Amino acid sequence: MFKYLFARSEDIPEGSAAVYFGFSAITWFVIGTGLGAFNASKLAFPDFVTGLEFVSFGHMRQVHVHAVIFGWISMAFAMAMMYMTSALGNTKLWSEKLGIWNAFLWNVGLSLGLTLLWSGMTSGREYSDFPWFIDLYIATFMTIPLGINVWMTVINRKTQGIYTTNWFFASAVFMVSIVFIVGNLPEWFHLTGLTEAYLTWWFAHNVLGLWITPVAAAIAYYTIPKVTGNPLYSHRIGHLHFWSVVVFYSTPAAHHLMSAPLPEWLKSFASVEGVLILVPAVAFVSNILLTMQGKWNMFVENLEIRFTVTGCLMAIPLNMQGGFQQTRAINWYIHGTGWIVAHAHLALLGFSTFLEAAAVYLGLQTLMKRKLYSLTLGNLHFWFLLIGFTTYWVSMTIAGLIQGAGKIYEVPYIDVVMAEHPYMIARWIGGSLVFVGNCFWLYNMWMTARAGTVIPEGRMAHELAYER
Amino acid sequence: MSNWSFDSPLRTLSDEEKIRKDEKLWEDDNLGGVHEDNNPVPAPVVWLVALTVVTAFAITFPLWGQRPTAALYEPYVNSMDKPEVLAAKDDKEAMAKIVEMNKGTPNDALLERHPLSMDDLRMIAPQIKALEAKGAHMHDFEVVGDQVVTANFEGNYRPDGSRIRQQPWWDKGYTIDVFYLSYFFLAVFTMIKRLPPTSWQPKHDH
Amino acid sequence: MVNFREYKIGARFFGLALGGSMTITLFMPSFDLRNVNATEVALDKQLWAGHESGFSLDDPFLTGEHRPVRVTLKTDPKTGQPMASTVAYVYPAGTPLPNGVDHPDNLGNIVEQLSRDKGRIGEATKSQGAVFLLSSEPQGDGSKQFYIENASATKGWNPEEVMKAAGDENTYHASYGKAIFVREGCWWCHTLLPEETQDWQVFGAPPMLGDFNGESPTAFGSDRKAPDILHVGSRNSSREWMMLHFFNPRLVQPHSIMPRFDYLWGPIDDKGQKIDFDKWRAEYNEYVDGKRVTPPEVPMYASNSDARALIDFVLSLK
Repeated sequence: MFKYLFARSEDIPEGSAAVYFGFSAITWFVIGTGLGAFNASKLAFPDFVTGLEFVSFGHMRQVHVHAVIFGWISMAFAMAMMYMTSALGNTKLWSEKLGIWNAFLWNVGLSLGLTLLWSGMTSGREYSDFPWFIDLYIATFMTIPLGINVWMTVINRKTQGIYTTNWFFASAVFMVSIVFIVGNLPEWFHLTGLTEAYLTWWFAHNVLGLWITPVAAAIAYYTIPKVTGNPLYSHRIGHLHFWSVVVFYSTPAAHHLMSAPLPEWLKSFASVEGVLILVPAVAFVSNILLTMQGKWNMFVENLEIRFTVTGCLMAIPLNMQGGFQQTRAINWYIHGTGWIVAHAHLALLGFSTFLEAAAVYLGLQTLMKRKLYSLTLGNLHFWFLLIGFTTYWVSMTIAGLIQGAGKIYEVPYIDVVMAEHPYMIARWIGGSLVFVGNCFWLYNMWMTARAGTVIPEGRMAHELAYER
Repeated sequence: MSNWSFDSPLRTLSDEEKIRKDEKLWEDDNLGGVHEDNNPVPAPVVWLVALTVVTAFAITFPLWGQRPTAALYEPYVNSMDKPEVLAAKDDKEAMAKIVEMNKGTPNDALLERHPLSMDDLRMIAPQIKALEAKGAHMHDFEVVGDQVVTANFEGNYRPDGSRIRQQPWWDKGYTIDVFYLSYFFLAVFTMIKRLPPTSWQPKHDH
Repeated sequence: MVNFREYKIGARFFGLALGGSMTITLFMPSFDLRNVNATEVALDKQLWAGHESGFSLDDPFLTGEHRPVRVTLKTDPKTGQPMASTVAYVYPAGTPLPNGVDHPDNLGNIVEQLSRDKGRIGEATKSQGAVFLLSSEPQGDGSKQFYIENASATKGWNPEEVMKAAGDENTYHASYGKAIFVREGCWWCHTLLPEETQDWQVFGAPPMLGDFNGESPTAFGSDRKAPDILHVGSRNSSREWMMLHFFNPRLVQPHSIMPRFDYLWGPIDDKGQKIDFDKWRAEYNEYVDGKRVTPPEVPMYASNSDARALIDFVLSLK
């Protein structure tokens, strides 16, 4: 890939940027989940590898979070944008070279940022932990170039219309840049106190709400119609989904601080808006499931569809939790407990990861014109992810309910820690399964590139029989 | 304008030839091998959205999880001097009597969840009496162990400019929500009405 | 060109929707959040925590550079005469000034006025350093209004003299300690925000709106895996317990899952002797296995170690 950095644009094969992004994403996924599993082991067995600053939990926790959000999830998004945007406009990516540089600078910036975080250089603000110059780097060299490429590809499309997926892509790359610049105001201008706390959560909420959730959904809007061959069920529901994401998902930031002394009116407003995230969720799930009509056999037979529909089904519990757990009537019980940790993993490791994994599987096979090396490994990957995630989610949800009860009934905290111990072990086992599954995936994709069956021109990967 | 219909505003403003051209364009637009159907929003989806809006307000009100306020224990404090309480042989019996005397109010469940010992009560009694003497709003103060402190809710303002330190049942946040939601649904409704008619479908039979 | 795909209208509506959302969620609350008068808690906290506890160019690696200290004075630094115990916040030359001194409008109108006029905070400079006091003015209703006093201007105290008068045993490196708290990720488990539920009977009263002015980062934490420590100094003020607990939490709480922070001791103890961590760990393992009756002795931390600063910070959380 490095040889293309200084190649002439026309010499770069189509899809190179997407492939670069795709393999980077998988690699970061392996790293991120490996770190996650290691962190989890320390919560279960605190004396396992101890006394060293660079492997202490407090130094690695944020590295895990940012490796999966900015490495795995966001690079998988960029990968999807690099090939879907152009495909949906019947055109080529605006600049393959910008895409390659984008992927290269993304890896460089993220490696640098994570190294600094690991060393303890942090802003101390959750989800915007990077020091401000890394934030500036992310906006300048990661999100804005990606946005330019997506926007120019959409503008130069050969179709009259813009497909639903591309509305989401174009608006999300715009919104994430805004969120990065505005959400880091406390660091640019050293804002302090509750303003800092509130903007920290404004950033955290909107990175999830205006970047991860809409882009993941947009990917499903491409994958399902493309692989099944069914048309997307309804353009109208797509509109309801898109507008409700922009209007409702951008507003509930204050619901993350229901326990802080923010003005009550802000919490009231945010909570009502928070329940209304069920509107885009209902629209998304119904649109995808209705598009599947007549093709449900593919849920069993086809890996990409299985990943996508599983992710889409996970959007149901995800949004039921997300909508209701933040309200005054419920938040007092589960705030700050493992329940929330389970919910965050349902969003990122459940819902969004399953949708992106499908996009990466589909995209890499299509662009490299190689059929997946091993279906068995693909299936193993799916089940390791699903079982590992479910183990994690169930154990953390139970642990969260224990913590909540301990909080309300004023149980000495050490008793809560002891009661949670078995679930911490389960959490570690779940995380390890996810990590092992991802190692299979990286190997499988690597072998696909080297030894996958060649897909003839004009055919799709799933139309070919597996050879292994 | 005589033919204009609210249900398909753009179509009834256009001539037949333009509509035919538009329909052909819509149905033939191939987006990277992906097509879009133009089915109406299903009724269950509309109902779910409506249900979400109602639920959103209902569940956001402060229903559970309230902390004990000074107002909650005020009757307990006032019962401390009653002769039958003073006649009790020990603190345990005295407390039981106080609890018994103050049963039958809407606060029963909260009091049951936040029981006090006679020692606790002795500690907070002078503080609650001092607040009473000042004419303070008892709901604005919370009982934390042996202390009565100002609650940290930043609620609505009273006419005198002081803050109601309770979770509100209505405030300007809810009012903004009502307007915000109205604008949203008005805009989405208008927009969906302006979309091409549901009879336009891509030709996906090939 | 046909007009049923109305991207121009769509783009404008998109701008309207996002702009409207940001108006309500960012612009409107800013009126509530600005001009909140800083409480005594907020003033104390910003004076001991200093300008910034996370990454800043003054202390990029969070190793305690350019940090103020809090001292308890028993003698007057000018005359050497005994005086009533006084808490002072010392900003040696080159230390960035606290937020409320740099930007007095963040203190809220009343506190800003008092701090400017009576406290003379406008005269403090980073290059010369300053000593601050948390002073108060009695109000009509019997309460006190707190403000920041620049003792370098009002009393002529300079940072070196005050540090010398206080002595090491009365000096708290709480600002350095909060930087360690942020760097070591303590806040991933120990929240700094007792909740609006009953748990505050255990962890203390939750903070008020004005308790945060000038604090950065607030580091509330969101995922509580350990007790809230906003008021931990009021529950447990034992240095010895803290020392054992940081070195190996299982020494004082067998079921704790907190990591060991023995590496914060650095290579040497308070007497300048090299700490033999391998030996300590081996002996501790023998103790765990029942081969020793008592655990090995925890070395005393050096007075300039990360461990000391962190303990100073934790004990400052009243």
